[in-house]
Amino acid sequence: MEKAKSDHPTRRPHSRPNALHRRSSREDSEVSVVFPGLVTRESCCCFTSELVKHILHQRHQLPLPYEELLRFCQRQQEGEVIRRPKKGEGSDSRQCQRSLSDLEELMVQLETFFTLTAVPRVLLLLGGTAMTPKEMYVIDMEGVQVGNGEESLRTRPCLRQIFHALFLADPFSDLRSTSPMSVVIMVQGHRDCGTEWFRPKLNYKVPVRGHTLTVRMSCGASPTPAAYSNEEYIWFQAPITLKGFHN
Amino acid sequence: MDEAAVDLKQALLNDLECPQVHVEVHHKSNSTAKTEDIRAHVLQLLNRHCVVFGDFMWTEFDDVFLTKNVNSVAIVDTELKVKGRQPIDLSKCNIFVNVFHLNEEGPSSETLEEENEDLVAAYHWILPAVEFHGLWESLIYENEIKSNLLDYVTTTLLFSDKNVNSNLIAWNRVVLLHGPPGTGKTSLCKALAQKLAIRLSHRYRYGQFIEINSHSLFSKWFSESGKLVTKMFQKIHELIVEKDVLIFVLIDEVESLTAARNASRAGTEPSDAIRVVNAVLTQIDQIKRYPNVVILTTSNITEKIDVAFVDRADIKQYIGPPSQAGIFNIYVSCIEELMKCQIIYPRQQLLTLRDLEMIGYLENNVSKLSLLLNDISRKSEGLSGRVLRKLPFLAHAFFIQSPTVTLEKFLQALSLAVERQFEERITLKENV
Repeated sequence: MEKAKSDHPTRRPHSRPNALHRRSSREDSEVSVVFPGLVTRESCCCFTSELVKHILHQRHQLPLPYEELLRFCQRQQEGEVIRRPKKGEGSDSRQCQRSLSDLEELMVQLETFFTLTAVPRVLLLLGGTAMTPKEMYVIDMEGVQVGNGEESLRTRPCLRQIFHALFLADPFSDLRSTSPMSVVIMVQGHRDCGTEWFRPKLNYKVPVRGHTLTVRMSCGASPTPAAYSNEEYIWFQAPITLKGFHN
Repeated sequence: MDEAAVDLKQALLNDLECPQVHVEVHHKSNSTAKTEDIRAHVLQLLNRHCVVFGDFMWTEFDDVFLTKNVNSVAIVDTELKVKGRQPIDLSKCNIFVNVFHLNEEGPSSETLEEENEDLVAAYHWILPAVEFHGLWESLIYENEIKSNLLDYVTTTLLFSDKNVNSNLIAWNRVVLLHGPPGTGKTSLCKALAQKLAIRLSHRYRYGQFIEINSHSLFSKWFSESGKLVTKMFQKIHELIVEKDVLIFVLIDEVESLTAARNASRAGTEPSDAIRVVNAVLTQIDQIKRYPNVVILTTSNITEKIDVAFVDRADIKQYIGPPSQAGIFNIYVSCIEELMKCQIIYPRQQLLTLRDLEMIGYLENNVSKLSLLLNDISRKSEGLSGRVLRKLPFLAHAFFIQSPTVTLEKFLQALSLAVERQFEERITLKENV
């Protein structure tokens, strides 16, 4: 898997002069990305996990971007002396370890899940319950046309395209910073995909309240996007609830 | 034409006369089978067993599909109204099959933001929740308390469905359970919510159980408490708006929120408390417009509650300590559990009270232990449900201390534990 972090365009989104006050205080916002060709399922998985990491950081559930945090923790484990400004390190670093290992587990399981079934939608739910979250982030891949490795676009340019679109839309800048919240991940997949890890939630309905951001991806080249019936495609919930933390 | 009419009439008559039987199907948490498929298979299973005696639960199935997808199939609550076990002819009953999934997440907390600090003002459970599973069955009351509560909510929903004008016939969706501590009021609220969420699963997608932390609604700032109450109910409002969700609001120890306002006239209650009472009352009036909410409240000290609140409660149910028969049944269920876990070994069948009655309390080899248990139950009268449920544990801790024990030894220990409980009570009173 290639690492697409090094040239992240949204590394410091707040440093950008906030000249455009075009975003109203509307509850829902949407970012659309149209890829100029087919993409693979692995790419879809990569988009999802990068978006999840990005959103968690942007919404102050992770104090640093995921990769940096990972490096930070590794260095700490290796016993390097690191100056830390705050007290109460013990519980902080334990919380950090737990969140990171949960997140890592989730990323691994997501990868498996994407190999089992087509995934039209992924939800990232912050705060409240899964049914009534405070904030909801929808990763909508219903319009994506999946191709095999040769005929598809490479992952990295697509990723760059997504983050470029996010950068332009700038959906995070006028959200208030929040305290740590619980984070629930829901993925939509085929009824018979046979996942062992994710728990099926047959009665789940996508919440309508709360702040919502949709990242909608589609393929411009495809004339007929695959149809996903609600009958066959049901929601699965990740059995772990991530906990945000502040350092 | 006429024949059809007769048929229809027959069907309607049958419909009215047939007893209703509820079947609860516990869907495995990792199963993705469709509810309709499960229902069809369960009906097939029920067809093979025409007559059942009282409540019954299947956990093992011949049907591979059921084994794969279902934890248990249970015929429930047939004994609530009819005393004792009676044969039920399933072919003549209206069968309601309710398939449910348990939610394993546990509670999530609802916070109110106030001055940088987040107050945990309520806990939410998505129903049916795994924590509340089996609670309903564990609560043993006489006097049809449980069936009354179920019927109450059924009527509430019927009235809402038929759009009965609530200005002409008023009902508030407020239930007040009161009684001494340890009699299972809070548990009954939780169990009732769980039961209804399962039973009404065909109309509501899921249930939400909201337990309000009443003390957190009092602010350190004068006059802010009333606003906090309003804020809290505002959040509940947001949930109620979704029509396909059944909401239960539990206000435990409701006297803390609705302390009698006339106490303040004597100057002993700060006026801030009055505002809280007023806020709660107006908010309850606001909420009762919605058909999908039930407010459950509990209290130990009823005389402290404001009259206006008591007046709003549709059901004011007294929950007392269990009677001797209740105690006997509680002990039997405890012993069943210990036999299942093989702490009491070997397994021995205990007779029910009805059986004892039928043989005229005659002592013989079969009935000896049951009679002993009956004696213990008589001795335990006056203890609350909470104490009774922990007595088997205390009996083991103080008088047994071995991994397995025979039923006879255990009953002796239980008897000692009961005596000890009463002794403790006396010493506690003397020292106070």
